[in-house]
Amino acid sequence: MNQAFRKKIKRNDRIARWVITVGGMAIIFSVIFILVLIAKVSLPLFLPPDAELHASTRMPRVENIRAVGMDEYLETGYVIDASGTIRFFNVKDGAPLDQELLSGAGGNRSLLAVETYGRLNHVLRWSDGSLTIDQVKFRPYFDAENDNRRSILHRVESLASFPVPATGPGVQTLARVGGEGRQVRIDLYSDNRLLVQLIEVSENFLGEEEVTEAEHQLAFDTAGDVSALVLSSDGTRLYAGTKQGELLRWDLSDSEEPTLLEKIQAFADRREITVLNLVYGDVSLAVGDSTGQVTTWFPVRDDSGVWKLTRIHDLSRHSAPVAAISPSPRDKSVISFSSEGLLVDHMTSERSLLSLGRKDRLQLYSMTTRGNAIMGLTDDGRLQSWKLEIPHPEVSLGTLFGKVWYEGYDEPVYAWQSSAATDDYEPKLSLTPLIFGTLKGTFYAMLLAVPLAIFGAIYTSQFARPRLRALIKPAVEVMAAIPTVIIGFLAALWLAPLIERSLGSLFLSLVLVPAALMISILAWQGARKIEPLRRLERGFEFLAVAPVVILAMAIAAGLGPGLEQTFFAGDLKQWLFTEMGTRYDPRNCIIIAFAMGFAVIPIVFTIAEDSLSNVPSSLKAASLALGASRWQTVWRVILPSASPGIFAGTMIGFGRAVGETMIVLMATGNTAIMDLSIFNGMRPLSANIAVEIPEAPVDGSLYRTLFLSAVILFVMTFIVNTVAEIVRQRLRAKYGRF
Amino acid sequence: MTTLKIENPVIEVEDLRFFYGESRALHGIDLKFPEKRVTALIGPSGCGKSTLLRCFNRMNDLVDGSRVEGQVLLDGENIYDRNTDIIELRRKVGMVFQKSNPFPKSIYENVIYGLRIAGENDKALFDERVETSLKGAALWDEVKDRLNESALGLSGGQMQRLCIARAIAVNPKVILMDEPCSALDPKSTARVEELIGELRENFTIIIVTHNMQQAARVSDLTAFLFEGNLIEFGVTEQLFVKPQNKQTEDYITGRFG
Amino acid sequence: MSKRPSKEMNKYWRVGEPMVWLSGAALTLTLLSAVTLLVVIVMNGLGVFWPSNIEQVKLTDGTAVYGQFVRSEETADGSGLRHQYKIANRDLYGLDFRWIDQTDIASTGHPRDLIVLERSEHGDFYGTLQQLFTVAGNSVAATFDNLQQQLSAAKHDLELLSELEKKLNDASYEMEQMRLTLLKFDYEGVPAGALERQELEQRKSELDARFADLIELQTRRVDDARKAKAVFADAGGRGKEVVLLDIVQAYTPNTMSTTDKVIFYGGKLVELVAGEPRESNTEGGLFPAIFGTVMLIFVMSLFSFPFGVIAAIYLREYAKEGPLVRIVRIAVNNLAGIPSIVYGIFGLGFFVYGIGHSIDALFFPERLPTPTFGTGGLLWASLTLALLTVPVVIVSTEEALGAIPREMREGSYALGATKFQTLYRVLLPMASPGIMTGLILAMARAAGEVAPLMITGVVKLAPALPIDGNFPFVHLDRKFMHLGFHIYDIGFQSPNVEAAKPMVFVTTLLLVLIVLLMSSVAIRLRNKMKKRYTFGTF
Repeated sequence: MNQAFRKKIKRNDRIARWVITVGGMAIIFSVIFILVLIAKVSLPLFLPPDAELHASTRMPRVENIRAVGMDEYLETGYVIDASGTIRFFNVKDGAPLDQELLSGAGGNRSLLAVETYGRLNHVLRWSDGSLTIDQVKFRPYFDAENDNRRSILHRVESLASFPVPATGPGVQTLARVGGEGRQVRIDLYSDNRLLVQLIEVSENFLGEEEVTEAEHQLAFDTAGDVSALVLSSDGTRLYAGTKQGELLRWDLSDSEEPTLLEKIQAFADRREITVLNLVYGDVSLAVGDSTGQVTTWFPVRDDSGVWKLTRIHDLSRHSAPVAAISPSPRDKSVISFSSEGLLVDHMTSERSLLSLGRKDRLQLYSMTTRGNAIMGLTDDGRLQSWKLEIPHPEVSLGTLFGKVWYEGYDEPVYAWQSSAATDDYEPKLSLTPLIFGTLKGTFYAMLLAVPLAIFGAIYTSQFARPRLRALIKPAVEVMAAIPTVIIGFLAALWLAPLIERSLGSLFLSLVLVPAALMISILAWQGARKIEPLRRLERGFEFLAVAPVVILAMAIAAGLGPGLEQTFFAGDLKQWLFTEMGTRYDPRNCIIIAFAMGFAVIPIVFTIAEDSLSNVPSSLKAASLALGASRWQTVWRVILPSASPGIFAGTMIGFGRAVGETMIVLMATGNTAIMDLSIFNGMRPLSANIAVEIPEAPVDGSLYRTLFLSAVILFVMTFIVNTVAEIVRQRLRAKYGRF
Repeated sequence: MTTLKIENPVIEVEDLRFFYGESRALHGIDLKFPEKRVTALIGPSGCGKSTLLRCFNRMNDLVDGSRVEGQVLLDGENIYDRNTDIIELRRKVGMVFQKSNPFPKSIYENVIYGLRIAGENDKALFDERVETSLKGAALWDEVKDRLNESALGLSGGQMQRLCIARAIAVNPKVILMDEPCSALDPKSTARVEELIGELRENFTIIIVTHNMQQAARVSDLTAFLFEGNLIEFGVTEQLFVKPQNKQTEDYITGRFG
Repeated sequence: MSKRPSKEMNKYWRVGEPMVWLSGAALTLTLLSAVTLLVVIVMNGLGVFWPSNIEQVKLTDGTAVYGQFVRSEETADGSGLRHQYKIANRDLYGLDFRWIDQTDIASTGHPRDLIVLERSEHGDFYGTLQQLFTVAGNSVAATFDNLQQQLSAAKHDLELLSELEKKLNDASYEMEQMRLTLLKFDYEGVPAGALERQELEQRKSELDARFADLIELQTRRVDDARKAKAVFADAGGRGKEVVLLDIVQAYTPNTMSTTDKVIFYGGKLVELVAGEPRESNTEGGLFPAIFGTVMLIFVMSLFSFPFGVIAAIYLREYAKEGPLVRIVRIAVNNLAGIPSIVYGIFGLGFFVYGIGHSIDALFFPERLPTPTFGTGGLLWASLTLALLTVPVVIVSTEEALGAIPREMREGSYALGATKFQTLYRVLLPMASPGIMTGLILAMARAAGEVAPLMITGVVKLAPALPIDGNFPFVHLDRKFMHLGFHIYDIGFQSPNVEAAKPMVFVTTLLLVLIVLLMSSVAIRLRNKMKKRYTFGTF
C-alpha cells in the first residue's frame, strides 16, 4: 500500500473521529440543554427584587419642601416648596434646571401640604384653605438635529382649583378631578363633619356646557373620630377610617344624593386607622393602622347579597404606625411609609418586595409613573433616588399554584385569566387549573385507552394467527402516525356534534355492547361444538366479535332517542342540568377520552405487544404443558413477565397524553375550570401555551409563566418517560432483545 | 520446557502477558511460529488460545480495558511497538473468524474489499486478484458465474471460504484462523481443511481449534495452552503420540476439557 | 345427564376462555375506531368535488329553491324527515345550507338548464342563465355554450391581467428593496446629498412613476374586462348580475354524463394540488400549503438528518460505553416523548427571540423595529421541527447500527480498514434502511405536527412562497403555509365553518394519505431490515 494513501486514510480517520465526537456530543448536549434554556427564561419570575441607589444629591438653598418627584428615565427631578415654586433639577448631580410658580401661588399664600395621586397629580393645599390640582408631565424628546439624542421635556399643567367653602377649610381636605369634568372637594372638620362639594360639567342636548354644583354635609355616626380619608381618582367613591378601627364607604356618583354604603368595624381590637389609599385600579382599599399593619380590602357580596368591605390581603407590617400609603401607578403594588422607611408590597401575590430608606429618615417620597424608581427626601435635605428592579411582582409560588382572592371575586380561587381590556386589571396566573385540566384529560383518555390497548395487545401477541398478527401490528403502528390535528378536527367537528345528538345512544351502547358480548359468548358455548365453527378459536375471535359489536352499537343508536324520550323527558342534556346540576358542554371529556384515547392506544399497544411477544416461548410452552389453558397461561405466566413492558407502554402513553396539544386545543372548550365532570371541558397546559404565547409580550410575566408551564410539562413527561425507559432497559437486559 | 528448534520464525512471542482489566488471561507465553507451516493452538475453552491468536493482529485492541505486556515480533519487529502501523500489520496478518462474516456486498466486492480500502482502483488488478484468490480458496469454480451476486446467498462453507479468499487477496504473510470450521457441517469442514493444506505452501497459518482430530489432521506443529500458560509445544505427531507433559496427556486423552 | 353440559360450561368459564373473547373484542374496538376514522375522512373527503345533481325543490308555500341534497334526519319532534340542502347563493340568502321538512316539499325536479357557477367570491351560485353581455357590451344569446365561450375569453383577459399583476409585484418588490436600502443609508448616516443616495432616489422616483402607470393600466383593463357580464336567476326568479371575470368555472351538473363528471372531478383534483386558495382558504387549491409543507420537511431534514446520524454514530461507535452514555441514551429516547409544544415554545424563545433578534440587530439594524428574522418564519419552524425529530433519527440510526453483528466490524478491521473506512464502507450501507426508516418517520411527523409551528411561523395565508424569482430566491425568513395548520385554521378559525367543512375534509384526506403512505413505507423498510440481519445467527 502506498505511503501517501495510508497517511490519507489515517488523516481521514482522525478527522472523522474528531468531527463525529465533537459533533455528536455537541448535538446531544444541545438537545438536552433545551430544558435549561426554557428554565432560564422562566427563572426571572422568582428572582428577588432589587433596588439600587441611583443618586443622592442636595438642592442648595431650598427649604420647606412639600413634594418631590422624578421622571421615569431618572434624569429630571423636581421639588415643590412652601412658596409654591416648582424647581426642576438634574437627578444625578442636583444641578438646578428651571423653576416656575405654580398656578395657585401668589399673594401671601403659602403651600401647606401636597397629596399626590395617579400620574404625578398633585393636590396642593394652600394656607388660605383653597386647593389646586397640578400635574407634572414629562415627555422624552428625540432631537433629530442632534444625533437623535434623547432629552426629557417637562411641563406643569393646572387641572383644577377649588375655592374655600363657605364654612371654612376643614382640618383635612381631599380633592379629585375626574375624567368627565367632575371635580370633587372633601373637607373634614374637627367635629367629625364631612363636607362634599361637587362640580359637574356636562353637555346638554344642544351641545352647550352645563355646570352643576352641589354641596352636601355627610352625616354619620362613628365611635371614633375620622382619622383617614381617601377619594377614588374619578371622585365617585369616598372612604374614611376612624380612630376606633371603623371603615366607612360612600357612593358619590349621584351628585344629588351621596349615600353611605356601609360602616364596618374593621379591626376588632379598635386600633386606629392611620391612613387609607386606593390600590391602582381603585378597587382595593389599602389600610394602614397604628400597629404598623398594612391590609387591603374590597367589597365582597355576602350571603344575603349585600356588598361588604372584606379584609383580603395582609401585607407587610411596620414596627411603627403607618404614616402614608401610596399605590404604584403601574400595577397592584403598594408602598407604605412609616418612620422606619418604605416598604413595597405587591397586593395580589402578597410578596414583600423591598424595604427602602430604613436609615435615611425619609420625610417625603414619590414613585415615577412607570413604577421603576422612587425618589425620597431625607430629613437632612438629601434627595435620594432608587432604581427599582421588580420584574415580576405579581408572581409568586402562591399566585402560581395556590388559591388567590382576586378583586371582584367572592372567595379565593384558582384562576387563569391572563389578560383583559384594561391596564389596571389583575392578571390571574394560577397554573393549578391548567395542571388540573391536563391531568383530567389524561385521566379520561387513559381510562379508555389503557384497557383497550393492553387487552388488544394480549390478543394480538398471544391468540391471533401469526399471519393476521403481521397485518394488525403495522396497521396499529400506522394508526400512531395519524396527525393529531386530524384527530382533533374530527373529534371537534364530527364526533362532538354526533355525541351531542346521540348522548342517550352512547350511554346505551356502554351497556349494550358488553351485554351483547356476554350473550354471544354464552351462545358460543353451544356453537363451538360444531367443528367448522370451532376454527374461530384459532385466532379469529376478534373478527367474529366485530359483527356483534357493530350490531350492538346500531341497536343502541336506534334505541337511544326513544330512551331519552321515555326516561329523560326527551333531552338527556337538559335532564343532566336540571336533575344532576351538571352542564353539558358540547366539547367535553367524553370527546377527549375518545380522541386522545385514539392517539394513545397505538403507543401503549405497540410497546405492550412488543414486550408480550418477546416473552420466551419456552415459558409459554412450559405452562401449556402443565395443563394450563391458554388464558391461564397468559394471565399467570406471560403477563407477569411482560408487565414491566406494559407498564412502560402505559407510562409513555401517559406522557404523550399529557403533552398532546392539537387534540385538546380543538376538542375541549379551553375554559380553565376545575370540575371533574365528564360533561365539561378543560384547559390543559399544552393548549394554554398554544393559545396564549402568540399574544404574550416578550419577557413579560405571562411569557415567563408560559415558559414555566412548558418546564412543568417537560418535567412531567421527562419523569414519566425516564421511569418507563429504565424499566424497559431492565426488561431488555432480562430477555436479551427489546 | 520446549526444546523445539525453529528455523526462520515469522512470529516470535516473548513473555507475552495479557490482561482483561484486572484479570490476567495469558501468563507469559514464549512461542515461535515457523514460516509456511500450519501451527495449531489447542486447549480447553477459556485457556487463552483465541486471545493469543488475536494478539497477533492486535484485534484485542478493540476490547476496552485490555492490556498487553511482553513482545510479539513479526519479522523481527515488535508489533506492540509504539510506532507500529496497525493497518500495515493487519494487512500482513490476515484473519478468518469462527463465524463467517462476509459483508452484505457482492462476492466480487467482498474479495477486493482489502484492496479497495488500501486505495487500489485498478480494475484489471481487481479481476486478477479475484480470480487468484477465489482459486486459492477453492471457490472459483463454484462462483465464477455469479461474482456480482450477494455473498449472503452462499452456503455456510462457501461463505467461510469466501472469507479466506478475502483474507488472501491482500497477500498476507500470516493467516490467523479462529476455529474456522466450528460452525460448518462435516463436508464443508473437510473442504476447508483440505484448503488449509493447500494454503500452507504460500502462507504461514496459525489455527485455533478445539477439535484435536482437526489439529492432528491439518497442523505441522501444535501448541497446548492451559489456563493462560503454554504447557507444551511440539511437532504435532510427537505431541499427540508422546506428550511430554502430564496435563497434555490428560487433555488429549480426553480426561478433561 | 344434565350435569355434563353445566360442568363443561363451568370449565369453559374457569379456564378463562371468555376472556380471550373479551380481549379479542378490545382489539376489534381499536381497529374499528381506526377504520371509522378513515371511513369518515374518505367518505367526506372524496365526495366534495363530485358534481352532484342539483334539485329544484318546490315548496308547498309556492316558493322554490335550487339545492344540492346533503343528508336527511328525523325532525326534532319525531314527526317526520327533514332534508338538508346546500342552496349556495350566499350573497342572496346569507346561508349556504337550509333544512327543509319533508312535509313542506311539493315536488322536486332536476332542471336541465340549471347552471352552477364557482365564483371567486361568495361561494357557488345555482341559477339559470338569463342574459349575457360581451366585453363590448353587446348582448348575445343566453346559452350555456355562449357563456362558456365568453368565459374562456374572460379567462384570457384574466391571464393578461395576471401578467400585469406579476409586473406590479416585481415592481413593488423592487420598491420595497429600495426603501430598505434607503433605510440602511439613513442608519449608516449617508448624507442627503451623497451621490449613491441621489442615484437611488432618482431610480426610485422613476420606478414610482412606472408603478403608477402600471396601476392605471391595470385599473383600466380591469374596468374593461368587467364589462362582460351575465344575469342569472335563482329558483325564485330573482336576478343576479355576475361579472364574468368573477366566475371561476360554470357547469351544468344535471346534464353532465358520468364521464363528464369524472373529467370534471379530475380537473378539480388538479386545481386542489396546483391552485391557489380562495375565499379565506375555504375554496380553491392547496398549492401554497403543500409547497410550504414540503419546504418545511425539506429544510428540517437538512438539519435533523445529518445531525441525528452523526449523533447516533457517535453514541454507538465512538463513545465509550459507560454510565454517561447510558444516561445520554435514556435522555435521547426521552426527548422523543417530550411534548411538541415544549419544542415550540423553545423554538420561539431561543430561535425567534434569541437568535433571530441577534441576527436582526447585527445584519438588519436599519429595518428595526420591523423584524426580519426576529419573527416566526420557515427557517425557525424547520429548526424547531428538526430538534423535535432529531431524537427519532438518533434512535432509529442507533438501533440499526446496534443490530449489525460485531463480526462485520472485526472482519473489516482484520483486513486493515480504519474505523472510518469500516463505518462508511460497511456499517452505514448496512444501516441505511434503518436510517431511512428514521428519516421517513421524522418526515411523517413533521408533516403532521402543528402545535410547534403555530408559534414559530406558520400563517393562514402567506403572501409569497418561500421560493421565488427575486434574489436571493430562497427566503427562509418568510412565513409559510402548512397542510396541518390549514386544517386547524379553516376548521376552527374561519367565519363560516359549515361552508368550510368540505375543504377541511379534503385537506385532511390529502394529509392522511401523505402521512400514511410515508409511515407504511417506513414500517415496511424496518420490518425488512429486521429480517435481513438474522443471517449471521445460524
